[in-house]
Amino acid sequence: MISDTLFMMLFVGLFLSFIVLGFFIWGAKTGQFDDTSKMMDGLLFDSEEDLNDAVKKEKKISDAKNKFKSSK
Amino acid sequence: MSIKCNHCQIAFENEVMIKENDLFFCCKGCQSVYYLLQDEDLGSFYNKLGNKTLASVKKHEQNDLNNFDEESFFKNYVKETQDGFSHIDLIIEGIHCSACVWLNEKILFELEGIIEAKINFTNNKAKIIFDKDEIKLSSIISKIRSIGYDAYAYDISLSDENASEAKKDYFIRMMVAVFSSVNIMMLGVAKYTGFFTGIDDDIKHMIHLAEFILCTPVLFYSGSIFFKGAYHALRNKLINMDFLVCSGASLSYIYSLYILGGGAGESYFDSVSMIITFVLVGKYLEVLGKKSAIDTLDTIKSKVPLFATLIKADEKVIVNIQEIKVGDVLELKTGEQACVDGELLAYESSFDEAALSGESLSVNKKEKDPIYSSSINLGSLVQYKALKTYEKSTLNSIVVLLEDSLNNKPKIEEKANEFSKVFSLLILAISLLTFCTWYFFGLSMGFSYGDISVFEKSFIVAISVIVIACPCALALATPMASLIGISALAKKGLLFKEAKYIEEMAKADVMVLDKTGTLTKGLLRVKDFNLSTNNAFHLSLMYSLVDSSTHPISKALKKYLEEKYKNLEYIKLKNIKNFNGKGLSAFYENTKKERFELLGGNLSFLKEHSISTSFRSTSSEYIFCINKEVFACVTLEDELKEDAKEFILYTKKNNIDTVILSGDNINAVKSIAKDLDIKEFYGNVNPIEKANYIKSLKEKNKRVIMVGDGVNDALALSYANVSIVMKSGTDIAILVSDIVILNNSLKALKEALILSKRTYYFIKQNLLISLLYNMITIPLAVFGFVIPLVAALSMSLSSLIVVLNSLRIKNKG
Repeated sequence: MISDTLFMMLFVGLFLSFIVLGFFIWGAKTGQFDDTSKMMDGLLFDSEEDLNDAVKKEKKISDAKNKFKSSK
Repeated sequence: MSIKCNHCQIAFENEVMIKENDLFFCCKGCQSVYYLLQDEDLGSFYNKLGNKTLASVKKHEQNDLNNFDEESFFKNYVKETQDGFSHIDLIIEGIHCSACVWLNEKILFELEGIIEAKINFTNNKAKIIFDKDEIKLSSIISKIRSIGYDAYAYDISLSDENASEAKKDYFIRMMVAVFSSVNIMMLGVAKYTGFFTGIDDDIKHMIHLAEFILCTPVLFYSGSIFFKGAYHALRNKLINMDFLVCSGASLSYIYSLYILGGGAGESYFDSVSMIITFVLVGKYLEVLGKKSAIDTLDTIKSKVPLFATLIKADEKVIVNIQEIKVGDVLELKTGEQACVDGELLAYESSFDEAALSGESLSVNKKEKDPIYSSSINLGSLVQYKALKTYEKSTLNSIVVLLEDSLNNKPKIEEKANEFSKVFSLLILAISLLTFCTWYFFGLSMGFSYGDISVFEKSFIVAISVIVIACPCALALATPMASLIGISALAKKGLLFKEAKYIEEMAKADVMVLDKTGTLTKGLLRVKDFNLSTNNAFHLSLMYSLVDSSTHPISKALKKYLEEKYKNLEYIKLKNIKNFNGKGLSAFYENTKKERFELLGGNLSFLKEHSISTSFRSTSSEYIFCINKEVFACVTLEDELKEDAKEFILYTKKNNIDTVILSGDNINAVKSIAKDLDIKEFYGNVNPIEKANYIKSLKEKNKRVIMVGDGVNDALALSYANVSIVMKSGTDIAILVSDIVILNNSLKALKEALILSKRTYYFIKQNLLISLLYNMITIPLAVFGFVIPLVAALSMSLSSLIVVLNSLRIKNKG
């Protein structure tokens, strides 16, 4: 009985941590850890304004791409 | 009272500030940037800045913006992205903190036509994607300049891309290994407690299973680089560290699989992942080092001028520097950098040759005098004739040499590594021998070991030899001592870029020193001061004249006069003329209409004004004349740092030879060498000669420490076994260096030598401890007296001893 509970806890824990590791690898692959010095100050750039900027940035990129495609 | 500038946050005296309501600015540049940021609604930059300071904004006077729109520039530096946009790589100068990165990214992003602007804070490289139909390159550059930064284009090289890729790849591998090892260690707590309190077989089996799941990616994903490395080495009939790492790890892994499959004993999945993780972290640091060397080179290359103004039949053409041919006549405006070697054609001018000689004083040049690439024209507009192509010019040859030496920085043979290589081979051989002996001996004698076969027993004993001799303690011996040594050094104001330089420092036998900025303060000081008459009014005239110039000599004289004479008056002079690198002239008319002609400068300046004097000096001189009569003769000298003498004494006591290598004139070097009692000194040495000198020392099998600070030292620094740079040095020198002295003092350099020696001593002691430990335990393991449980426990014990021993480094000093 105890060993069953332990077994479940251990492997559910392992499963969850592998998911976290997966996210971490995704982050590293998309370049979020490329700039170690910038990463350390990330806390300073996490306000509402910065989030809005990030959305604007995405939008500008996709707009530009669409415009470019339609002009061709 | 001093007040902080509202833009750059540097404190200045109250009087020099530009006041505006509640705001204070140190200069026009800072003021304009401040308002620009307010207009663009970017005032939050100052909140993000925290308590950091920026550099004062300097105004750009060059009109080189049009060059960026030239077709040849575009072809060289702009690439097309997959979506059809343009992509340029820039290096941004003047970035101090992440707020600067934020500001630049934001202001660029707000520009119409810019799709993406990404700036890397670590190496200041920017990647900008833009639409070339909507925005010109020149407007991007001018935007960056308008907020007080500057940008240089650089050609992103294949090696840079590869290094970035490798860095990312190793980072992920390392993180997977660290993640798994940490988790395995946590499971280990349960497992090892189980040894003492008893543990059910099925729970133990469960832990083994979890360890297997965690360990497998470490060995086969993170560790795959070791398998590749070992395979390549074996194909070339070599055995390297990689081979030992993966053979040790694989054997333990296979044995653990056998345990997992139902065999009796303990699994070693934890050791497998630990070994891989430790070695991988070391490899990652190596990759980081390579990447930073490439970043350094790109920074240096981006500073090379890209265009020159060519004069062809009275017409001015802007050409790419690669197109310049020998004999071409080129124009050099004020503030521009010469890009090829040549000779001056028309007019006189003064040049800043700091990049070559390391001297801050400008050099005056006349017609036919040689001009070196990288020197900056400080005087008026001049023309010069190219004598060499860009490829063969001084600047480019320095860049090429630097590239070679940084890419092939000689590998320091680390004794500990060499040692553990031999040791590991020996262990593998012993364990193989143990296995064979136990197996064949056991078979022929017909031994039985209860429920396990002879094969299994032999295998367990052989594995216990490997585990007990696990190079953990050995692998920890050096890094642990180095780590503690480095943190102790950091407290003394010394920044070691890599741990391996401790060993080199401790074993060095020659120290090559630059003069200006290293041994001396790089500030001139009045040494002799002789007046013909002690006339207070004349002194005030002299004071007023030196006050009008910012030349180092004038500044030193002003300071001296202010300190020595209390009742000096400032007199308004007329017609002040500055003869670059020579002196100043001015006129003064008093109320009685008496005219005084004032001249102040060096001997050649006096000669030009046909004034003769018997005064001669060994270093820099300054002579002040009133109405063609000599009033004051001054000798100025660069001031020695306070602790220079003590430092040289220390090096002598420790049998380290000292040599002065300076770009300054030989007389100045001689007087410093005499003061410090240094036998070997060289003056007028150019960067390549400096590097050759270091090379020749190394050919004599000497271990060389080079201490310098200028761009002119960069090449020599990269050739030395260990290079040390003062924090006040130029960026390029700091990038090339292995050790940075943060407080610029020679006392810290002495501390570096002492602590390195002490740390190295402890490294050797640690190695000895782990060796002694193995000498006792391995024979026990070979004869089968060590059960796997004890082997695993003692492995941790030996590591613990090494760690505790290393902590003793901090005890003294």
